[in-house]
Amino acid sequence: MIDLIKDFGGVIANNHISFEIDQGEIIGLIGPNGAGKTTLFNCVVGYHKPDSGKVIFKGKEITGLKPFMTNREGIGRTFQIMKVTAGMTVLENVMVGAFCRTEHRAVAVREAMEILNFLGLEELKGFHLNELPIASQKKVGLARALATKPELLMLDEVASGLNPKETEDMVALLKRIHQEKKITLFLIEHVMEVVMPISQRVIVLDSGEKIAEGLPKEIVKNERVIKAYLGEKYAKGF
Amino acid sequence: METLRDALDFSDFSRAERVALVLFSLLLLLFPWLGTGSFVKTVVIQFLLFSLFGMGWNTIGGYGGQVELGKAQYVGIGAYTVALMMVWWKIPFWISMPIGVLIALGYSFIIGYPLFRLKGHYFAIATICTSLVLQDIFINWKLVGAAKGIELPIHEHPDFLYMQFKSDTYYFYFIMALFYAGLVYMNWFRKSKLGYQLRMIKDDEEAAQSLGIDARWCKIKAYSIASAFVAVGGGFLAVYNLYIDPYSVMDLDLSIKIALMAMLGGAASMWGPIIGAAFLVPLDRFLGSWLGGQRGLIGVDFMIYSALIMIVSAYQPRGIWGIVEQFRRRDR
Repeated sequence: MIDLIKDFGGVIANNHISFEIDQGEIIGLIGPNGAGKTTLFNCVVGYHKPDSGKVIFKGKEITGLKPFMTNREGIGRTFQIMKVTAGMTVLENVMVGAFCRTEHRAVAVREAMEILNFLGLEELKGFHLNELPIASQKKVGLARALATKPELLMLDEVASGLNPKETEDMVALLKRIHQEKKITLFLIEHVMEVVMPISQRVIVLDSGEKIAEGLPKEIVKNERVIKAYLGEKYAKGF
Repeated sequence: METLRDALDFSDFSRAERVALVLFSLLLLLFPWLGTGSFVKTVVIQFLLFSLFGMGWNTIGGYGGQVELGKAQYVGIGAYTVALMMVWWKIPFWISMPIGVLIALGYSFIIGYPLFRLKGHYFAIATICTSLVLQDIFINWKLVGAAKGIELPIHEHPDFLYMQFKSDTYYFYFIMALFYAGLVYMNWFRKSKLGYQLRMIKDDEEAAQSLGIDARWCKIKAYSIASAFVAVGGGFLAVYNLYIDPYSVMDLDLSIKIALMAMLGGAASMWGPIIGAAFLVPLDRFLGSWLGGQRGLIGVDFMIYSALIMIVSAYQPRGIWGIVEQFRRRDR
């Protein structure tokens, strides 16, 4: 059971935010720029230490653990902006993820290939990140996070920089990951076309506070959310 | 078994690389019979020694991407352990050298722990400082000979226990064996879990952390491996020169040469440190003796040396091997 409680005090970026994620859910986290989404995200995975409050994962307190430790607990993440380097090939990138759970190179290669096949990236395995279009880079980020075998995958703006077609692909891919790998997804997203169709529950932040939580349908009708973020147009169109 | 197989398996290199390696090895094997003068022999021994240093440096400096400029202190630790144990207790090389390596490992863990709180330039400066501090301690430490250094008692030729020989041929095969041991180890290292993790850290440390890699611990491990390598070379230096002092085995100059050769040849590649040493060691020696000694142009060799390094690093930051790979990718 994933049971995530967050309760900040003193940090202006995140003011007494608490919520839970159940195993197998897809949760979206939205909010305008500067709402504290990324800060919240970073507190969970361990890049920041919350000033107070707790993060509990599978009944175990993980507050303030370093990022590599939270990963070992079973939390994977992707980055909004990936550093694109020429140092390693796609396969090697994913192998590093797989090495998280094994000592043997042969096992790492096999698992990395499985994931590349799963995501349809097998043809790109020999390329370097800087030779790929942004949509493929993002998928590699996803692949290497998946290779660490997370139970909770946190996705930081996975659709940013993608065109509508690529966004659609990504949404389909996330659905497949959720269904076939049984991984809980937690999305930070700006792009409504990603959050709304797949999220089972949406949390809305504004100015460091949680202003709403609920089903996507309910969220788009929520007065405060419309005012803070979505705007009248989107609410009507939904 | 898997480890051994990985270490001896060179099959993922291109045909050209494997052929070159075989030819190079044959040349090395036959080198003492080529009838070269003693000066050339010295240069080749230095080349193998610096290749070994460079391979060690390459773990942390190349694969790990950390600008490490303090390797001389570990040359010193290796050399002093061998020399002092022989002078004080008559302990043979084959016991004192591994002890030197162990001391280097222990010391590098102690130094590495605080050192890797630092990043980038700060780390580079700190590595220089720790090396300078150790050098200063040895310069002033009466018990270990202070600035005068130590002379090793000379044994009758050939002494395989203390590794003392009159002829350079023996030393040549000795350092060649160490060189190949290093090469095989590096062949394993680049395919190991640590090797992959270090490359990830070099590329993107934040991402590495998110993939469950304890970046600091990985760096400490690589730093210690590098230190152990260099300490082996230091031990060799002690029995080869039969005289060591803090200036010859712990100088900043040595640290910088180790890093430069590996970088010029191509950091984070298997052949880079060897290529770098193959260029710079002879250049260093020949230019130094020719321009400095015979033409009276003291210091000009350093200018040429530096200019060459600047040209290569401006053209291709990944060194000579980087240039080779660039052409290969273009041809593909």
